[in-house]
Amino acid sequence: MRGVQALAVAAALSLLAVPSIARAAEPKQGGILRVYHRDSPGSASIHEGATYSVNIPFMPVFNNLVIYKQDVAQNSMDSIVPDLAESWAWSGDHKTLAFKLRQGVTWHDGKPFTSADVKCTFDMLMGKSPQKFRQNPRKAWYEFVNDVTTSGDFEVAFNLKRPQPALLALLASGYTPVYPCHVSPADMRTHPIGTGPFKFVEFKANESIKLARNPDYWKKGLPHLDGIEFTIIPNRSTAILAFVAGKFDMTFPTGISIPLLKDIKTQAPNAVCVVEPTNVSTNIIVNSSAPPFDSLDIRRAMALALDRKAFVSILFEGEGDIGGTMLPAPGGLWGMPKEMLETIPGYGPDVNANREEARKLMQKAGYGPDKHLAVKVSTRNIADYRDPAVILIDQLKSIYIDGELDVVETANWFPKVARKDYALGLNLTGNAVDDPDQSFYENYSCGSERNYTNYCNKEIEKLFDEESQETDVAKRKKLVWEIDKKLQEDVARPIIFHGRQGTCWQPYVKGVTVMVNSSYNGYRYEDVWLDK
Amino acid sequence: MAAINYDNELRRAGANSTQGWRRLAFLAQRHMLGTIGLFFMVLFVWAAAFADLISRYDPLSVDSAHALAHPDMRHWMGTDSFGRDVWSRIIHGARISLAVGIGSTALGSLFGVSIGLASGYLSGWVDLVFQRVTDILQALPLLVLALIMTAALGPTLPNVIIAIAIPLIPTVARVIRANTLALRELPFVEAAKSIGMSETRIALRHVLPNTLAPLIVLATAQLGSTILTEASLSFLGLGIPEPYPSWGRMLSESAAEYVRTAPWLVIFPGIAISLAVFGTNLFGDALRDILDPRQRG
Amino acid sequence: MFAYIVRRLVLMLVTLFGISVIIFVLLRIVPGNIVDILFAAAGYVDPADKANLERELGLDQPIVVQYLHWIGGLLHGDLGYSFVSEKPALDEILPRIPITARLAGLALMFSASIGIPLGVISAVRQGTRLDYFLRVVSLSGLSLPSFWLGLLILMASVAMFGTMPLFNPNPKTWTEAIAIYCVPAMAVGFRSAALTMRITRSSMLEILRQDYIRTARAKGASEATVNYRHALKNAILPVITVIGIEAAFLIGGLIVTETVFNIPGVARFLVEAIRWRDYPIVQNLVMLIAVVVVLANFTVDMLYALVDPRIRYTD
Repeated sequence: MRGVQALAVAAALSLLAVPSIARAAEPKQGGILRVYHRDSPGSASIHEGATYSVNIPFMPVFNNLVIYKQDVAQNSMDSIVPDLAESWAWSGDHKTLAFKLRQGVTWHDGKPFTSADVKCTFDMLMGKSPQKFRQNPRKAWYEFVNDVTTSGDFEVAFNLKRPQPALLALLASGYTPVYPCHVSPADMRTHPIGTGPFKFVEFKANESIKLARNPDYWKKGLPHLDGIEFTIIPNRSTAILAFVAGKFDMTFPTGISIPLLKDIKTQAPNAVCVVEPTNVSTNIIVNSSAPPFDSLDIRRAMALALDRKAFVSILFEGEGDIGGTMLPAPGGLWGMPKEMLETIPGYGPDVNANREEARKLMQKAGYGPDKHLAVKVSTRNIADYRDPAVILIDQLKSIYIDGELDVVETANWFPKVARKDYALGLNLTGNAVDDPDQSFYENYSCGSERNYTNYCNKEIEKLFDEESQETDVAKRKKLVWEIDKKLQEDVARPIIFHGRQGTCWQPYVKGVTVMVNSSYNGYRYEDVWLDK
Repeated sequence: MAAINYDNELRRAGANSTQGWRRLAFLAQRHMLGTIGLFFMVLFVWAAAFADLISRYDPLSVDSAHALAHPDMRHWMGTDSFGRDVWSRIIHGARISLAVGIGSTALGSLFGVSIGLASGYLSGWVDLVFQRVTDILQALPLLVLALIMTAALGPTLPNVIIAIAIPLIPTVARVIRANTLALRELPFVEAAKSIGMSETRIALRHVLPNTLAPLIVLATAQLGSTILTEASLSFLGLGIPEPYPSWGRMLSESAAEYVRTAPWLVIFPGIAISLAVFGTNLFGDALRDILDPRQRG
Repeated sequence: MFAYIVRRLVLMLVTLFGISVIIFVLLRIVPGNIVDILFAAAGYVDPADKANLERELGLDQPIVVQYLHWIGGLLHGDLGYSFVSEKPALDEILPRIPITARLAGLALMFSASIGIPLGVISAVRQGTRLDYFLRVVSLSGLSLPSFWLGLLILMASVAMFGTMPLFNPNPKTWTEAIAIYCVPAMAVGFRSAALTMRITRSSMLEILRQDYIRTARAKGASEATVNYRHALKNAILPVITVIGIEAAFLIGGLIVTETVFNIPGVARFLVEAIRWRDYPIVQNLVMLIAVVVVLANFTVDMLYALVDPRIRYTD
């Protein structure tokens, strides 16, 4: 009987679902999307920022050459679609990537868009133009680009030093908009001009960011919204209460922790919420240039002591992913298969056996129940950093390590890490695109600016170059797994977990897709509409 | 003058009785609210002093198997998201709050008294300089100064204490200066001078003890507000950091995420802060009535 | 009187100068500057880029030169540029002042209009249940963390009315306009109201014990006349002082309240600027606050003279 009822309910639900899908096919025009923003971004210039606090409000102002299709949740080579480029083609030797550009596109100030703008943008990113960005955090992405050449107003080519299939993925990120040549980097920080679906209206620091519909957008009929308003609310309690009270149509994307999500669900049962991986890994940076962690035994012992499941269950009530450097499936494309992951020391399911082994290593290094190792665990004064550090310290107790939390203000964190003035650091690493080139070169390559631990292994470096040039995806995947496993075994920068975050919106907001393997690429919002 | 009436007050309050406890009983009856305040304060100090004995768990020990447990016999006040026992954290938190309260009040009073005494007793250019220093400190809002100080020094327990103490200095200095100025003119100081006592000695032996009453009154009143300042700093992200169980942080952080799903994480720290501050305020009021009848209310 | 005012003004200038030096030095002692923060957000440190940016912002110059540059600018009405938004600091600060001023004014009005009458009632009815009740309520007003009070108000508002007063620069209805200012003003004014009540009460009690009040009573003046015509008029003096001092304390309360209610006033802006190490904003804002506080104290002293003709400033 109960089964029959359930079936009936399911049938009724599916009947309800049909018309709503039918309605979804005809988006309504108009309305302002009201979103709260978690903090005030340092500037409006995406190229000079490295946090999605900048991407989310400003991605709608721009177009890329190519972009990840905005309604496909998993970013992959297959979901890359033309944007300002109508088409692209690799040369036979995979060393030239040529784009044919769209014609008749204008910047928000009325000037025409041409290939010169593309060249300007990437020359500036490569540090080759006389105009300089104040900050250029993604310069390394174009390390293998020799130069960018134009041919006429609507053709542009990237000439590479060596094949790099992943370049296309980097160009499709929300971090890679095309900037106009005729606007200075300083003006782009305060009043950005783009070609995108929304025009910049104003940015009041700590107050609000306003965008308005671009009536001359080159995609006819888009965007659906009249505008987007971001209200900056740094206090989480206030922001959530305001969302529950209906003051906002949407929360700050991927900004809601699992406990907070539960709270929203009890207060606003109608809200639509999703929880997806952010492709931000929580990891430990280990200072291997000074005692005690210059000893591989102690590093290994620490890696063995980690109970990753406990982290995930405390911080995400079970909803987090355990993996190596690359985000594991189902969200990620390049994560090691489970069987392979479990062969890495510390990833095995038997935590007690792992810790037993860890204690042996510690004893070998001269520590034991009577002689504990005192260590400072440094981290930033932000809950997302502090909370895992508290758990880490508790877990290290099991292997004779007495950790003391050392909370560092944001301003002092990177200088401290750069000075190597730490033993263990708890760090968060966001990956803009789910591609090994971005994460390996950025975080593990010798001499990279974001390789905070200065890990440098010439053999692995060779493997990086090998996978990077590999055009066969299946072969590349195998190589990537092998590299990832080695990185974990070397305890280069042990990955604890990959977090997930929630996003909620009111039921009348349609056309929002939250990406499952990146939190930097899905905010164009030209397809979003309000069913009111 | 304030301090001189001290004995009068006590005599009136039952000091005729030779038995100490009867005197106390009389005082308690006369100052009911104050006695309640004293009770909370004793409770507070007792919790801080015997935290290790009273608390049933290590306040820092993480236990993922028992995260967010409801209050029950095992965990009287439930557990937080890390599975840490809230009762133990509240009890140990009393230590932190007491350290902040007493530490910063004492530090602030020490400097305030020195400045006030020197300024009031020596007068002249010393007074002029110290007066400007207190003017300057007073024109900078307390929380702003504390914010900049914790940002400058880094958010550790001693630094938070210093940051909260500095803004207390001008208030203490003002009161002590005013008292000292009045005392300086009194006959017994004149007498001390006439028998050839040194200025420093007069200041320390005669003037200072007589400013104690208003100082105690002021310090008790400040105690509560320092605890609240720490809570505000925690709310703004600059209070005492993890893993120390600071009440302010426990309250401000769980207020965001757990107010409905795990209300015990919000209720108990809230009660702890309010009762501690309320207790010191009630006690402070009664103390003012007893020690400083000029301001009696 | 004139000489006294001149003296006070000179001392005020000395105080402001001292504050400018202290805040300037303090900010530069704070480890980490805007450049570090910008690079922390960018997740990398490139010494050459860093040096460039420091040069661009003038942070590489000796501290004395930086100070003179700031003060020199100030005297010409030039407050410099915000490091973060790169807009003139004046343009960032000016539009935020009326918001905070309105909030502070309302809070002071609230605290005076609630605190003074309750204080008088409490004093007149000393020792009664009403007195005890009012004293306990006022003390609990001083015992609640202000952010907690603000959050409770918001939560209650959402739970009971399904909405809450969230700041909006262009309120649509006048009820909304009232709600977005009055509710936070009440949250921040609660504390000052409690304090005002306590001071009014003790000040009233002291006056009521004075001889001239007894005389008035003996002469057959009615209870109301004694309490309100004679006592309150004289008891108001210390209350004014406290309200003046509260103005400075209010800034602290406003920081927290503006954060809880998400009001884009100067108080919250100051905290954000401290966090970003946006020196031009912090320096100028602190100076602004200092000027307001110093002027408030000065005004209070002048009011003293007006209210109490016995006080004459002659020295």
